[in-house]
Amino acid sequence: MAARTRPKTPWPDALSPGSRGGDLGEHVIEVHGLVKRYPDITAVDGIDFEVNRGEVFSLLGPNGAGKTTTVEILEGLRDPTEGEARVLGVEVPSGYRRIRERVGVVPQDFEPFDRLRPREAVTYWARLFDHPLSEGEVAGVIDTVGLTDRADAFALNLSGGEKRRLGIAMALVGEPELLFLDEPTTGLDPGARRELWTLIDDLKRKGRTILLTTHYLDEAEQLADDVAIMNHGKIVARGSPSALISQYGGGTTVVLAGAGRGGYDALVARGVAAELHGSDVLVHVPVASQVRPMLAKLASIDMPLTEIYTKRSTLEDVFLKLVGARMEEGVLAA
Amino acid sequence: MKRILADVTAFGRQYLRSRVGTFFALAFPVILILLFGSIFSSSGSPRVPLAVQDQDMSAASRGFVQALNNTTLITYQAIPSDSTVNFTEYIRQHSINVALKIPKGFQATLLQAEMGNTSARVNVTLSGDPTQSSFGIAYSAVAAVANGFNLKIANATEVVSVGEAPFTVQQFGYIDFFLPGIIGFTILTTPMFGMTSICAEYRTRRFFKLLATTKLSKAEWLAAKVLFYVLLLFLSVAIMMLVGIGVFGMKARLTPVAVLLIVAGAFEFTSLGMVLGIFVRDPGTGEALANAIGFPMMFLAGSFFPIDSMPSFLQTIARALPLTYINEGLRATMVLANDATAVTYLLITLGFAVVFFAVGARGLSWKSK
Repeated sequence: MAARTRPKTPWPDALSPGSRGGDLGEHVIEVHGLVKRYPDITAVDGIDFEVNRGEVFSLLGPNGAGKTTTVEILEGLRDPTEGEARVLGVEVPSGYRRIRERVGVVPQDFEPFDRLRPREAVTYWARLFDHPLSEGEVAGVIDTVGLTDRADAFALNLSGGEKRRLGIAMALVGEPELLFLDEPTTGLDPGARRELWTLIDDLKRKGRTILLTTHYLDEAEQLADDVAIMNHGKIVARGSPSALISQYGGGTTVVLAGAGRGGYDALVARGVAAELHGSDVLVHVPVASQVRPMLAKLASIDMPLTEIYTKRSTLEDVFLKLVGARMEEGVLAA
Repeated sequence: MKRILADVTAFGRQYLRSRVGTFFALAFPVILILLFGSIFSSSGSPRVPLAVQDQDMSAASRGFVQALNNTTLITYQAIPSDSTVNFTEYIRQHSINVALKIPKGFQATLLQAEMGNTSARVNVTLSGDPTQSSFGIAYSAVAAVANGFNLKIANATEVVSVGEAPFTVQQFGYIDFFLPGIIGFTILTTPMFGMTSICAEYRTRRFFKLLATTKLSKAEWLAAKVLFYVLLLFLSVAIMMLVGIGVFGMKARLTPVAVLLIVAGAFEFTSLGMVLGIFVRDPGTGEALANAIGFPMMFLAGSFFPIDSMPSFLQTIARALPLTYINEGLRATMVLANDATAVTYLLITLGFAVVFFAVGARGLSWKSK
């Protein structure tokens, strides 16, 4: 069956997703002083951020940090108590109806309709946006998310990762400028998470703006151009992953594996600040330019070791420093 | 309209792929029709088993039993007339509901009466639970036969007799009265039970939030459900009618007013399901709430039993139930050819439907607080 001509998009060609590559700087989302208060808790406590066109912006934080509440206000699903939020230049939630065709949403814990096949679900969803797709276009959307082989399986029988990919396919039916992905990889096995990362990365390269909420630090570090770390309804840090790591991560760590107490004593005797961690000795180098001189100095000290390597700080170190706790599956651990 | 049709298509696919939904919408009403139709249609009114101990074993006592059999109200079962068999003990041991004892000397007493002995008396004894309807039926039969014997002995002639005049246009059978009730039952259960659990499922699985991000409005979503249930009920009613006509020779037919009542009923109970959906938070609660409201309504509103046979306070309750007007309206137009009454009930049904729709559309929120 021949593909029908795609209906003209309701927004100017200059703003269409395919023509926006690298058009950074324009704010697709603007949030100022946003507050969401409930009788017993303040879920969002006066946050401000902007999301540039074409970037992946990540709201990162533990469960209950206020990420989903923030996103649902931006999706027009909740009313804020105070503050202002604008999406694609329109104030939300009041004006959300005007932009919903330009936005794709994959909610937290997305579940598809059990007894619809992916092909049927995408067709259905497109028709709900008054944007009917030809069979070829539906196949194209399904192919984009890598579900071609499963296009005729009941959603009930899809794996967790396949269901999330179907959610993204449904969100893509209107060729949206902006995608909200609320914890898209929560509960998935590592393989499925990696596959979704690849998909999200592909979407980013095609010029979509993506607001990604996650409690996986590696996910934000891997995918996001810009990260806002949230805790207790507030944004506690904001910047690119590399900038946050530089600012809060403590630089580079040199690991002297198997150096043990003897190695530790030898380093301290030569005036090197070190930390004994099991049988390893760790040396923190706060500034990147000092790594090479430090390695030379360590090489000149005679000590027993099995391996020497450097370890760059990660967002996990940043999170630990800022929040004072590690995060495991979205829960803060002591 | 395109969005509504898209939702009808997607929802219909899911519904018809669910074996449970299809069973209760299409197969279960047919099972009820076959079951109740077989029980009540084959011989008109059911006969009551009556165990009789004929201690007299005379021509007169056998004539009395024969006369009982001829009433077509009872089925005769013999209790041994042997004097060693205790009537009361036999009833207890054999769990008999109603039993009659014709005492020794029955024929002799009748002969004395015929000879002019005005003090001649004989009692036949009916044992059983007077609160049971079977006892009442047996009592009527025994009293009628005894009365006949008394008239004969007195050489009296029958002055007042009872004739039969059917009050329906055609000669209808039990199935013709029963099937409209089953249609009403299906109009209640299929959309209302379905919508209540759908609302619960859509809320817990966040489908409402997902739908809220599309261009489909809440009113369109509900309209799609009403349209789907109308189509499903038409299919269900068509199957019921075919079974009723094909298996039981049913004479009642769908009329235009009956079709409108089905449409209005689907609208009414789909909307009521949405109203109940406001209060449920999970599918388990949804089922419990739908059962709590649906089951009493289906019995009180005359789906299975005529409302007129209920105590007056239950009849008052029945008049407040929306299903009553569908059941009675369908019977009025399909059986009694009384379209004026049926149209009145149609308007009442539409009134209920509009109120339920308004409350449901206003109260059911797709969004979060």
